[in-house]
Amino acid sequence: MADAVFYDGETARRRTVSLKIGASSLDLHEGDDWIASWPTGAVRRREAASGVLRLMLEGGPALARLDVTDPGDQASIRAHCARLELGEPKERTGRIIFWSALAAVSLTLCVVFLLPIVAERLTPLIPLSVERRLGTAVDNQVKFIFGGKVCDGTRGLAALETLSARLRASTDVGMETHIAVLESKIPNAIALPGGRIYLFKGLLDQAESADEVAGVLAHEMGHAAHRDSLRSLIQSGGASYLLGLLFGDVSGGGAVVIATQLLIDSAHSREAETAADAFAAQAMLALGRPPKAMGLLLKRIEGNEKKLPAFLSTHPVTDQRLKSLEQQAPAHTGEPLLSEEEWRALKEICKTS
Amino acid sequence: MTASYVSNLTPAAPHEARMSFSGRGREFLRLLVTGSLFQIPTFGFYRFWLITKLRRHLWANTQVGGEAFEYTGTAKELLIGFLIALAVLTPIYLGYFILGIIAEEQKALASIPLVLIMYVLMHFASYRVRRCRATRTVFRGVRFWMKGSGWAYAMRAILWDIATMLTLGLALPWATASLERYRMRHTYFGSIQGSFTRSGWGLFKRGWWVWGLGMASILGALALLTYLDAIKAKNINIFGGVILLLPIPVVLALLPLVMAIFTRWQMEGLRVGEVAVSSNLAKGAFYGTFLKLIFSSIGFLLVFGVLFSLGGYLFVEKLQALQLGEISWETGSVIVLGALAYLALLLGMGIIQRYFMGRGLWAVVVNSITVSNLQAVNAAVAAGQPSGVLGEGLADALDFEIGI
Repeated sequence: MADAVFYDGETARRRTVSLKIGASSLDLHEGDDWIASWPTGAVRRREAASGVLRLMLEGGPALARLDVTDPGDQASIRAHCARLELGEPKERTGRIIFWSALAAVSLTLCVVFLLPIVAERLTPLIPLSVERRLGTAVDNQVKFIFGGKVCDGTRGLAALETLSARLRASTDVGMETHIAVLESKIPNAIALPGGRIYLFKGLLDQAESADEVAGVLAHEMGHAAHRDSLRSLIQSGGASYLLGLLFGDVSGGGAVVIATQLLIDSAHSREAETAADAFAAQAMLALGRPPKAMGLLLKRIEGNEKKLPAFLSTHPVTDQRLKSLEQQAPAHTGEPLLSEEEWRALKEICKTS
Repeated sequence: MTASYVSNLTPAAPHEARMSFSGRGREFLRLLVTGSLFQIPTFGFYRFWLITKLRRHLWANTQVGGEAFEYTGTAKELLIGFLIALAVLTPIYLGYFILGIIAEEQKALASIPLVLIMYVLMHFASYRVRRCRATRTVFRGVRFWMKGSGWAYAMRAILWDIATMLTLGLALPWATASLERYRMRHTYFGSIQGSFTRSGWGLFKRGWWVWGLGMASILGALALLTYLDAIKAKNINIFGGVILLLPIPVVLALLPLVMAIFTRWQMEGLRVGEVAVSSNLAKGAFYGTFLKLIFSSIGFLLVFGVLFSLGGYLFVEKLQALQLGEISWETGSVIVLGALAYLALLLGMGIIQRYFMGRGLWAVVVNSITVSNLQAVNAAVAAGQPSGVLGEGLADALDFEIGI
């Protein structure tokens, strides 16, 4: 039997020992002195440099080690110690994959089923003042994304104010609204939390009458009145935060950005859109103007932007939506919302004089 | 039996013991590749198991006079550390977010105070990480362990950072010496206390000229720019940008040199009781590893680029369909393939980086070291317990890597 090196786990002394390998135990002797007997069933292997068999005793001193270098001894130990490889709790890769997948599924289910409920219940509990502040944060993001160009043609602004004042008079939004036009070619309009509404220049460009713009504006006021943006923000912000956790983004730094992006890009739920349509139709009817004008504008935009990928089209106009708007015609015809001159000024609001 | 008796009378270890790294590159690469692949179906959670395997391999193959270290940490500990870090960080982030809304002053993407909190936490975590790793390092059946406070260390580190910035980097040797002294004085091997014997002045003498070179390149670029501006040279806007970029390759080329100088000085200052360390690490010792890193990365990117364009060529019709917004099984599988290609790119670069920066530099440093008075550790009596894993978790969650 060749010598092995023994460390008792109590001191760093290196002890050269002789090994006796039996069927039931490993006996260690230092010179003539007996040091220890390790039952073969409790001997475990530890990670060591190649060529070295490093052993420990399960249930013995935690750091006591026996380094065996002699190949004959190593073979003999491997033959006698049946449970050599049990030292490390064996890595079960399948189990790791299983639990990781389960964590992913659980988070996804939370996002799909739980979050909408949470957002629904949470929204009415959030005070308007908080919503306004949240809106400011989102507004900064939006301005960052679109380069912060808010159109400020003096006469255009006056026309916009006239239009929104008439709409406000005929509806109850329940909060202050701030309406502005963003210099962007995308034909879109968004309502941010806290009553901030942006019309995009691209939408104005394609509009052919004040009624069309008024309808869209009233529709966005409907979103504001129903606090749809706040609900969406809670939902998408929560979703990106939860999914971010999965991939190790604890900060949620991405969450605010992604949530804003989603708010801009994606439609609200079908129910929210229908409700906002109804709100808009109500407002237009009260003013004696045709609600279907908005539908025509959206239809026109959809026709012009055929090349856009479907998932990018923001407010999918189904023919059904248009039809339900068409069914509602005003009983009496009110006076035009904007004069011909005001309408031209609004169309050119982004032109700096 | 007589042989073992005799060897017990004479010191078992010679007065000088070479350190050596005996791990085979292929083995390390195998661990890295399989571990990285397992990260895909586990959403990255396998990283804790991968890093544990890599550490076991590195520790077990690092030998002093033929006696190997052992890493006793487990993957589960690291996972728990990450979960604890989540529990600590989530309220901080949420609190910060809510404060930002209340303050209303929040500008787009402004997050400077949060960066400050993260910066302090990073220094704190770096100390705790070292403590965590030390207490899981076993040599000759005795554990290393550490005292000291992560917060006290973070305070020192921040003050030294300020000093280093104010002196344009000249204070860095003294900062490194002071911090290393704090770490080593609080490090124990069993009952034997560690220390650090090198001074900042010694490092300054070795490396001041590198600092000078780096500074000269920056000042030179600035001077050139002022000169061109003074003589009203044409196209100064374009050339100006190029000139300002010039010091970057110089500084990058000096980096391996600086690392080698720092590492050698740091190694030579390490003491554990009477045990001393010396190193013959050459100034250019890291250049080979860095070149290998650069060329493997370029090679990998080339191969990846060729394969990716081939794939794009094969799927060109599906991609067009995808652009038109068509959602089908085929376009869906293209998206999945694209995502997998992106993952392969990330994981591949990670593997290359860890292979050379983790294992490669480690092996070079270990092989340069000679340990003297090793017999002094015979007196060490076991002490200390494995410390908590919060630091490791923070390091993982905050995405900063401290070695392997």
